[in-house]
Amino acid sequence: MNTEPVPPTGRATPPGLLLATLVFWGWQSGWLWTGVAMGVILEAARFLPLRWELTQADFQRIWNFCFLLALAMGIYVFSTNDPGGGPAGALQASARKVSVSGLDTSMTLLRQLPVIWFLFVAAQFFSAGQAIPLAAISWIARRRQQQGTGMEPEKHINVAYPYFMLCLYSAGIHTNDGTHLYFYGLCGLLTWALWPLRARKAAIWVWCVLLATALTLGYYGVHGIGQLEQFANNYNSQLLARLLQPQTSAEVSRTSIGKIGRLKLSNRILIRLEPLNGSPVPTYLREASYRKYYSQIWQTAGKSDEFQTVVNDVGQENDWSLLPASTNLATVQIANYLTGWSKESSSAQGLLPLPSGTARLTDLPAFELKKNPLGAVLAAGPGLVIYQAHFGNGATMDEAPDTNVDLLVASNEVSAVDQVIAEMHVASATDREKMLAVQKFFASKFTYTLNIKNEMKAYTNSTPLGNFLLHQRSGYCEYFATATVLLLREMHIPARYAVGYLVHERTGSQRYVVRERDAHAWCLVWNSATKKWEDFDTTPAGMDNPAPSFTRPFQDAWSWLRFQFAKFWWSQGQFRKYALWLLIPVLGLSLYQILFRRKRKGRSPATASAKLVPVDWPGLDSEFYRLETRLAARGVPRLPGESLTHWLERVLVDPALTDLRQPLRELLRLHYQHRFDPQGLSPADRERLAREVKACLDKLNQ
Amino acid sequence: MRLIYQPIYWTYRTVSSVWYWAQRRFTTAGLCVFGGFLVAGATGLDVESTVTYQSFAALLGLLLIAFAGGWKFRAQFSATRLLPRLGTAGQLLQYRVRVKNLGQSVYRGLTLLEDPADPRPPYAQWLEYQLAESRRVRPFRVAQRHRTHPFRRVKLKEAEVPPMLGLGEVDVTMNLVPLRRGILRFSGVTLARTDVFGLFRAFARVSVPQTVLILPRRYPVPPLALPGVLKYQEGGVALAANVGSSDEFVSLRDYRPGDPLRHIHWRSWARSGRPIVKEFEDEFFVRHALILDTFTTEPQSERLEEAVSVAASFACTVLTQESLLDLLFVGPQSYRFTAGRGLAHADQMLEVLAAVGACPSRPFETLEHLVLNYVSLVSGCICVLLAWDEPRQQMVKKLRQLDVPTLVLVIVPPGTRLEPGVMQDEPGRFHVLEIGKIEAQLAKLK
Repeated sequence: MNTEPVPPTGRATPPGLLLATLVFWGWQSGWLWTGVAMGVILEAARFLPLRWELTQADFQRIWNFCFLLALAMGIYVFSTNDPGGGPAGALQASARKVSVSGLDTSMTLLRQLPVIWFLFVAAQFFSAGQAIPLAAISWIARRRQQQGTGMEPEKHINVAYPYFMLCLYSAGIHTNDGTHLYFYGLCGLLTWALWPLRARKAAIWVWCVLLATALTLGYYGVHGIGQLEQFANNYNSQLLARLLQPQTSAEVSRTSIGKIGRLKLSNRILIRLEPLNGSPVPTYLREASYRKYYSQIWQTAGKSDEFQTVVNDVGQENDWSLLPASTNLATVQIANYLTGWSKESSSAQGLLPLPSGTARLTDLPAFELKKNPLGAVLAAGPGLVIYQAHFGNGATMDEAPDTNVDLLVASNEVSAVDQVIAEMHVASATDREKMLAVQKFFASKFTYTLNIKNEMKAYTNSTPLGNFLLHQRSGYCEYFATATVLLLREMHIPARYAVGYLVHERTGSQRYVVRERDAHAWCLVWNSATKKWEDFDTTPAGMDNPAPSFTRPFQDAWSWLRFQFAKFWWSQGQFRKYALWLLIPVLGLSLYQILFRRKRKGRSPATASAKLVPVDWPGLDSEFYRLETRLAARGVPRLPGESLTHWLERVLVDPALTDLRQPLRELLRLHYQHRFDPQGLSPADRERLAREVKACLDKLNQ
Repeated sequence: MRLIYQPIYWTYRTVSSVWYWAQRRFTTAGLCVFGGFLVAGATGLDVESTVTYQSFAALLGLLLIAFAGGWKFRAQFSATRLLPRLGTAGQLLQYRVRVKNLGQSVYRGLTLLEDPADPRPPYAQWLEYQLAESRRVRPFRVAQRHRTHPFRRVKLKEAEVPPMLGLGEVDVTMNLVPLRRGILRFSGVTLARTDVFGLFRAFARVSVPQTVLILPRRYPVPPLALPGVLKYQEGGVALAANVGSSDEFVSLRDYRPGDPLRHIHWRSWARSGRPIVKEFEDEFFVRHALILDTFTTEPQSERLEEAVSVAASFACTVLTQESLLDLLFVGPQSYRFTAGRGLAHADQMLEVLAAVGACPSRPFETLEHLVLNYVSLVSGCICVLLAWDEPRQQMVKKLRQLDVPTLVLVIVPPGTRLEPGVMQDEPGRFHVLEIGKIEAQLAKLK
């Protein structure tokens, strides 16, 4: 440790500025005393004479440590829900604790940046040089230095002002409470910081007036941004609805009935499904069902607001019962993305695709779960959920039919529907026979196509569905499902329109994937005998699935990568839990290097001098210096700036040294050669220098 | 594939222009504020989650006033650059600029900046360089580094201007470090004045076009026992009086067919009526050839630059000894420059080397022919080569077959190892110099 004060280099911050800034940061971020302590430590460097001789390698180790600390802090915060975190959080995998969004993680991390980089800044303040070699933090500078291509002396930087800016920035990372305290504090600190930088040519009053003008502009800017944000908020919902990718709504389903052209569907994998314990694979995964059809749109008809919150099982945070009484259940594991956004819970949300008769959901890391009387289950939680759905053939969540709605046929569709019913001749049949007749009717007289031709335009007097039933007689699932629901209703059988996915593509032994193109619509029919709703699908087989394109494997690989990343990101895997534990030994090693490497070097001075001294100052280990000290003690000290040759000649004037004149001159020549000749001394000469110096010293000591 | 380079080139031009502008216009504090402004703006979009939008607004206010105050600077001044004729790559070049205030105003706290000519190459040249780099540096090879700032010619430092009175004149000492050999061009000088906050600078420019020749970078070379012995040189060379081991001609004799005309002693002919020529004593002295390989297709070749530096280092070292040095290289045509003793000085040789360019179109045999034409005159050869392939080995082999002692230096990328090949029996005269370690490797030469 060097106790000599070293004059500071570079531009230092004004006295007290960093203390005030750190106090401000602490106050704004809720770490007041931490900020005070950090500020006091940094400002103490102005008064304390203590300085450490930190080398570039030391700064580099501290930089690496801070960087690793930032990384560890990021993972730690990412793994916990508590902003700022608690130690227990990193080790728990509960749904809420692991579901911090990326935004929250970033904000918590940004708020803590002054703490993370404090050690690095303190190292500069307490170092002898008062500045940091650029090569300690810049890989490019370090590479240039190593390759010897740097043509200028080593560059140093002063991180005091950047740290000041960092503290100001981090102080602003907190929820907007509607006050302008941050702004006022910021203005005060900026004024303080800008004062020493002001142009000396301008009068102080001019500087004050212009600064006041600038900050006033800033004040109005703050108000302007606030108003802009309000305006954007009003526009927000409509805009977001357009920007966000399409997703199933529990309230309304806009069909593509009546649209001309080929329906384009993607091969993107949306759902991954795996039956557990030998359970059967459900054919349909339903997201929602609807009751009222008008003008190509299906709606819930007054049931949209009837979502009820599902309470999770006692003691089981991730288990949810939808139908508590059901037993004898099959189990299937489902992984799907939640692509919507819930403003209430500030998290992702979406309808869960569930098999018919789902009674219980387990291991579902949702924050909130709601269900409606039409069997839709709305989950708010992380962007990816992986859970087990337990289902059976018993009752479903759907409420019993309401004849006012579940038998309703839109007046403009009645005519076409009646014509088709007349064609089927089922007036006196039972409900089951009517259903079979409908299925047979569509299977024999209709074809499946995704490509709707322009011929429909010819029949301008009827609705698109009427055209489908009477003339076109080809279409896709939305046509068949809608037509079936209306036909059954017209035949006094309660029916509903259901949307979801068809499960048919197996990958691996027991795993299935559901793609975007597997989106499907079918109908739910009320079985009055069993008193439950049953799936009824009249879409003809032989759906015109095109042959898989050659890009399908790449798309699937990409989907798999996306899925794996989503599992990591939303903590559905185990990696994130262990990442912090992996970093702890690295951090420990880094800290060990900072604290103990220097000491270890200090304990082996011979090794250090052998390695370092010849590189920077060749010849400093020359024994001639001992001779110089000894001769100077005889009363002829070497004057400042005096060359050794000149000094030696003055010394040798002493008659007592007559015998030593020649050996000493020869030793000086060897010393010079050792000190300044790029070739240095040969090992033999080096040894001779040491030996003869020792002999001279012995003679002088006699 | 080449189509993608066009937008990259324009991006490069735009980004470099913006960065150059920002570096000159903003002070360090200004860059700090501007960086903070950008970061606060980027993260302040969500005005409910953070309040950094408030710092964005405050910094914007400061920057607006700084821009307004630092946009115009109506100073009138003239400048004269007192520039030396030569500089050296990699070494500090110090000179003065005499600035004269042509107005009555008094100026304090001004900064003087040099305006170098735009070093960015036109598209064709840039593309050529990029394609060569993509051939040289394979993808995902960390060890093969791309060069940073390949076209940058100079590292400039700005200087404080002493207070300038009305119609006053001051001298400002400027420092710069040339990074490459060749002609360094300046277009003008700029006087900068910071705004009242010290964030942004207003400029007043004056056109002072000027050039300075930058000599190649040189490495210290230890005194070498160069190959070769004293060798007979034709007595009648014009430089005999300065070079040879005798002073003058020894006698006159009758003209014999084949004698050069310049040896005719005109006065004696006039007196005697028949042609008389001067006869000189035989001249013996050491004469070395420094053979520089310029055959590379790589534009802005780092290897060629290093080869020129090595050649320059040898030129300076050899010319301090009692010998002549012939520099042989091929550019648009074949060149031979002779220097040494009283004939020409090292700086003239360095000026030639400063202008050496790559020869991408002609075969290596051109150099071989040039060397073999003059080899009878020289005592020994120093070959500075860019590769150690078959044609180059053939040339060295022929030199050795002619009993010309040859020192071979091959410049290679870092980490390359070469077999001595035709120099196998004389490994002490075959040296591989790795880029980045050349200084250390040259210092070890014996």
